[in-house]
Amino acid sequence: MEFPENPAVNMDQLPLLQDVDVLPVDRAYRKMRLLAWGVVQALILVAVLAPFAGQLLGWLDGVNMGLIWIPLLVQFALGGLWFAEEWLGFERRGYAVRERDITYRTGWLVRNTVTIPYSMIQHSELSQGPVSRWLGLNHIKLFTAGGSGNLRIAGLKEEKAQELRGVIDARAGKS
Amino acid sequence: MTDFSTPRRQHPLGIAIISVQFLVNGIRAAWPVLIGITFGGIEGYMLLGIPIVLGLILAGAVAYYWRFKYRLEDEALVVERGLLQRERLLIPFDRIQAIQLFQGPLQQLFGLTGLRVDTAGSTGNELQLVAIGKSEAESLRQRLASNSQAESKTATETSEQSQPNAPANGPDGFNRQPLVILDAKRLIKVGLSQNHLRNAFLGIAIFGSIGSPLESAIESLFGALPSAAILALSALSVLLIVPGLVLFLLSGVVISLGLATFQYFRYRSAIGSEGVQIEMGLVRRNTFQVPYSKVHMTVWKSNWLKRQLGFETLQIRQAQASDQANASLRVFVPAMEAQNRKVVEGILYPDMKEPESFVLSPVRRFRWVMWLAAWAPSLLLFAAWSPAAAWLGTAAWMALTGFTTAKRFGSLQLRAYANSVVLERGWFWRSRTVIKMDQLQGIQWRRNVLLERRGVGHITFHTAAGPKPFVYVSKHEAYALRNHAINRMHSAHSENAQPAF
Repeated sequence: MEFPENPAVNMDQLPLLQDVDVLPVDRAYRKMRLLAWGVVQALILVAVLAPFAGQLLGWLDGVNMGLIWIPLLVQFALGGLWFAEEWLGFERRGYAVRERDITYRTGWLVRNTVTIPYSMIQHSELSQGPVSRWLGLNHIKLFTAGGSGNLRIAGLKEEKAQELRGVIDARAGKS
Repeated sequence: MTDFSTPRRQHPLGIAIISVQFLVNGIRAAWPVLIGITFGGIEGYMLLGIPIVLGLILAGAVAYYWRFKYRLEDEALVVERGLLQRERLLIPFDRIQAIQLFQGPLQQLFGLTGLRVDTAGSTGNELQLVAIGKSEAESLRQRLASNSQAESKTATETSEQSQPNAPANGPDGFNRQPLVILDAKRLIKVGLSQNHLRNAFLGIAIFGSIGSPLESAIESLFGALPSAAILALSALSVLLIVPGLVLFLLSGVVISLGLATFQYFRYRSAIGSEGVQIEMGLVRRNTFQVPYSKVHMTVWKSNWLKRQLGFETLQIRQAQASDQANASLRVFVPAMEAQNRKVVEGILYPDMKEPESFVLSPVRRFRWVMWLAAWAPSLLLFAAWSPAAAWLGTAAWMALTGFTTAKRFGSLQLRAYANSVVLERGWFWRSRTVIKMDQLQGIQWRRNVLLERRGVGHITFHTAAGPKPFVYVSKHEAYALRNHAINRMHSAHSENAQPAF
């Protein structure tokens, strides 16, 4: 292994990760995430409104109707933040495939960019739940030793996922 | 040397050890039931159950012993075991993370040795041979170690990753250079430099759980005294605060000494061509052997007391699944002195002799973010105290946390060499973590919107031994470091037929 004698010079000749094009995941995945958002918000809304509805229907007693705005406001604020994260974050969600490594970028509020070399991938997994099957989506999970660097690339069209998996499997565990 | 090519059983005395293991595991699993039975009242016929259970355990142990066979193939350790559900384990030498010989009280009594092999996907004790003869265990260990070493050597030689500074092989094939050897004096020093406060609390917890009869005895004693005497005693009890504190700290020191003796008794460690080797323990003697290529992280830790003695503790961390953080073994080397660190790092990280390529510190203006987080507990004061006292308390708390945050923030430093990354942190409890870039599993760059706008984020190195973050780095520095690290990972593997892991 030849150590770079003057790494500062070598730096400029190295391929740069930040210059790579990021491919977006499938549009249908936004639908799936917003669906999850909607379901969770509806459940929370039911839980928040339940005591007040109970008061109106006369099943409960002593619930102060004037307070209904407080939980609703809190829910709208948090739900709105989450929605912004889903909506704006989707535009930033994507993966970049290079000859020797794969990079996955997510998030708007909290932004993550994870890079793992193919040589460190122990095995990969394609998964599909009922909703993603309906939308024709697939998720790829890449496992590394120790598990802290595991990577899940969610929301790829089935054929895209197969293709990407082929690319990864051909290189995984090798140089 | 013993021939391991034919399947062999463990030492017959292993039946006794396996029986005791089964008994302990059984009691551990069934203790709520046992306590329930005790409270329900023990009838005479129940005692008949004891010999029946013991007989069953003995029969199980005999069957387990009979079915348990091991042998060595060219490249792997093969074990067949199980009575009803039979299994055959095959552990390739190059997957062995560490070899541990251990001698619990029973093994010491019988003059036997247990052997444990850790692999990467291990659930902690994937394979244990509980009872084999001493000489047999030693030659088995050497076979396993030399094979895993030979394998990793061929792998490392192609990647020119071999350890040029490691001492050459001696006549037995294993030349070792002693590293840390604890005689009585140094053992006491190690004991004296533990965290006494934590140990004192540990002592109280243990005392609280087993000392309740004593407590009731004291209560009944007090109940017998006239009320005037109790008043006088409670007035005197104020005087007991200082002696009580001294006693508290002293008990901490005593417990520290006891624990250190228990763990580090007759501690011997050596470093050589085949890796790091360590022997330690009083009641349970452990011998660890870790090949260099399986070291994924080294952590040097010290507190103020240890630094006064010139000591550091070294933790050698290996690949482990993150959800089994406690299952995998961690190898400790206490009482490391400055020259020991030089030796170890010189062998493990030869690139450190060159000047570093990067020196990174967190962006200074983010100190206040850390300080802000430290304020939160002072809000509790407002709930408990009067406003004036609470403000005073808050001011004192803020001054203290401001000081400690500044100190801690100032201590954060990252130095990257051609292949090694050194992360330093802490000023009272100091730690220094070293990882190798060509062993990294992944790199993560994380920041929120506000940090992104200021061009700052956190960089996390994912290693097989767990993640290691470095916070509040400027984007340009982090990108340069990331590109360097990624290219190191690739260049190491392009010359290497097999991954180093």
